[in-house]
Amino acid sequence: MSLIKKPKLTREGLLAIIVAAFILFLSLSTNFSSKSGIYSFMLDVSPTMVAAIGLSMIIFTGNIDISAGTISGFVAYTAGALVKAGAPMIIFVPAAILVGTLLAGLNGYLTVKFKVPSIVVTLAMNMVHVGFYATFLPQSGWIENLGPRFTWFGRARMFGIIPYTFLVAVVVAAIFIFIMAYSKFGKKLYAVGGNAQSAVYSGINPDRIVIKVFFIEGFLIGISALLRALTRNEVMPSMFIGRELFFISAALVGGVSIFGGSGKIIGAVLGAMFVYLISIAMIYLGFQDYYQFALQGIIILIAVFITVADFSKWKKKRPEAPEGAV
Amino acid sequence: MGTVKKKSFASYLSHQVILVIALIVVVVTFGIIEPVFFKPRVFFDVFAIVGEIGLMALGLTFVITTGGIDLGVGYNLQMSGIVFGLTWATTQNLALAIAFALVTGTLGGFFNGLIVSRTRIPSLVTTLATMYLYRGISMIIAGSNNYAGFPDVLQKISTTRLFGFLPVQFIYLMVLFFILDFIYERGVLGRNLKGMGFNENAVIYSGVNTKKILLGIYTFLGLLCGMAAIVYLGRFSAAKTSMGDNMNFEVITAVLLGGTSTMGGIGSMRGTLIGIIIIGVLKKGFSLLNFSGNIYNFTLGLILILSLLLFSVMEEHKRVSSRKS
Repeated sequence: MSLIKKPKLTREGLLAIIVAAFILFLSLSTNFSSKSGIYSFMLDVSPTMVAAIGLSMIIFTGNIDISAGTISGFVAYTAGALVKAGAPMIIFVPAAILVGTLLAGLNGYLTVKFKVPSIVVTLAMNMVHVGFYATFLPQSGWIENLGPRFTWFGRARMFGIIPYTFLVAVVVAAIFIFIMAYSKFGKKLYAVGGNAQSAVYSGINPDRIVIKVFFIEGFLIGISALLRALTRNEVMPSMFIGRELFFISAALVGGVSIFGGSGKIIGAVLGAMFVYLISIAMIYLGFQDYYQFALQGIIILIAVFITVADFSKWKKKRPEAPEGAV
Repeated sequence: MGTVKKKSFASYLSHQVILVIALIVVVVTFGIIEPVFFKPRVFFDVFAIVGEIGLMALGLTFVITTGGIDLGVGYNLQMSGIVFGLTWATTQNLALAIAFALVTGTLGGFFNGLIVSRTRIPSLVTTLATMYLYRGISMIIAGSNNYAGFPDVLQKISTTRLFGFLPVQFIYLMVLFFILDFIYERGVLGRNLKGMGFNENAVIYSGVNTKKILLGIYTFLGLLCGMAAIVYLGRFSAAKTSMGDNMNFEVITAVLLGGTSTMGGIGSMRGTLIGIIIIGVLKKGFSLLNFSGNIYNFTLGLILILSLLLFSVMEEHKRVSSRKS
């Protein structure tokens, strides 16, 4: 018997290895490893990383947000409209994030106060948002020629290769990994998702936790939408429609259980990278854009299947030692 | 004791009564703004508009009653429609095209049912994933093509009017409604579905094979999606990769408006039918008033949220008043 503990390969560890292998293969066979390849990968993946963290926290509590994509549209529009009106960055960034926070908070409030499942609330909100863009925003929210005051942050890079947006995403990820691992709030969140009833008996108010989580998710969606919008010279809310698919599949690929109560933030971050690497690989392989939809669907199914499949049953099939043989 | 308990006014209001009142209000409003709305030919257009949505919504009521959901019925319809278009374009054989469309829809539903019934993956995630899968498949098949130029016989399936005003979709909906309503309210299957919505384990322990039932209702919903695709193509005679875009939401709204609970166990086919008609009236009314599809979506989303809040408050009221007595 050895005293050294065998290192156990966690799901997140496995995913990290897959992501690393993927990056290695991509850089061997294509020009992915070039300066611009790495730069654009980091630029593309950072908004999804941040949003996937938000979605993961929602899913930890056993809820979901289908309107995350359309909320992003409002965030981007707010930022664009304020810049056009001449607001400096210190104003338009917090204002835009606030819009995201409030919209997601509204979802949380309706979910908790009226006991309507979050899937239905956010599905309906998705429709309301999309209808709102086209009906009430001037030019359906299309704003162009925003200029360097809007884009300087999104296009700035460190050492000529690391986009600032990626740095923001990494910092956000680090903060939330820390919060979920060490804070009381993180523990409560898992407790609510695992079993709301027993959470109540241990003195936790699940309703308050769920509302808080929706607000936090909205905050993260706000950051995520800005990370994407600030790289462009124009803003179009409908650009974000359907983005929630990427956020949700990143979280699920990262091992966040759809039943709530388990999963890790680092998993969601790696999941976001995985989802992007797959789509980059498909582009290099010459697949059309619309293969993405089918592929994302299949990825979600496989990821969730691996999470829920009861592998312990398979192990039992191995022949057992007869009794008394030990 | 001994006194007749006075019922509060609110207790007389069931979901369906409120729905019917809402329906009448909407109809009268549109009729006053646009009097042409009351012409039978125009008014009964409502049923032509909701033909395909209605077929799918009636099937979806079964699924939602068990506590499940299907987010992607519209894209199953789209996939079936595209397969129809492809088959027609290559073989020019209408019967074969219809058969392939029905088979595609059924397989789409069967695949959902298989995953939901055999694995522990919730229907929400399953259908979210297959929704994009089916959308992707239809885009891969069609590319940027539109399929059109279908024979006139196909149009008869959807544009025939009985007595000069009643769309044939009314007959399809009514036939399906009476069959499903009978199963739902009187049949053993309906009782088991509601039981599964409340407590699936209890139904399993009473000796019912719930896996088979789940597989069956998702497959049936798929078949209805295939049928709806044909009804849709009869009306528009072009299969496009955008045909299912808005339908997922409309179908779910019809069912939830009708008072079927996403928590499972509670619901009614009659409610769904009224929900379908409300959606049709809104759609027809908005198109008469020349409102854009976006205003319609916005309104529909608001109506869904408000109706859910209303139902939720009513439930709470009932619970509180029953506790008091």
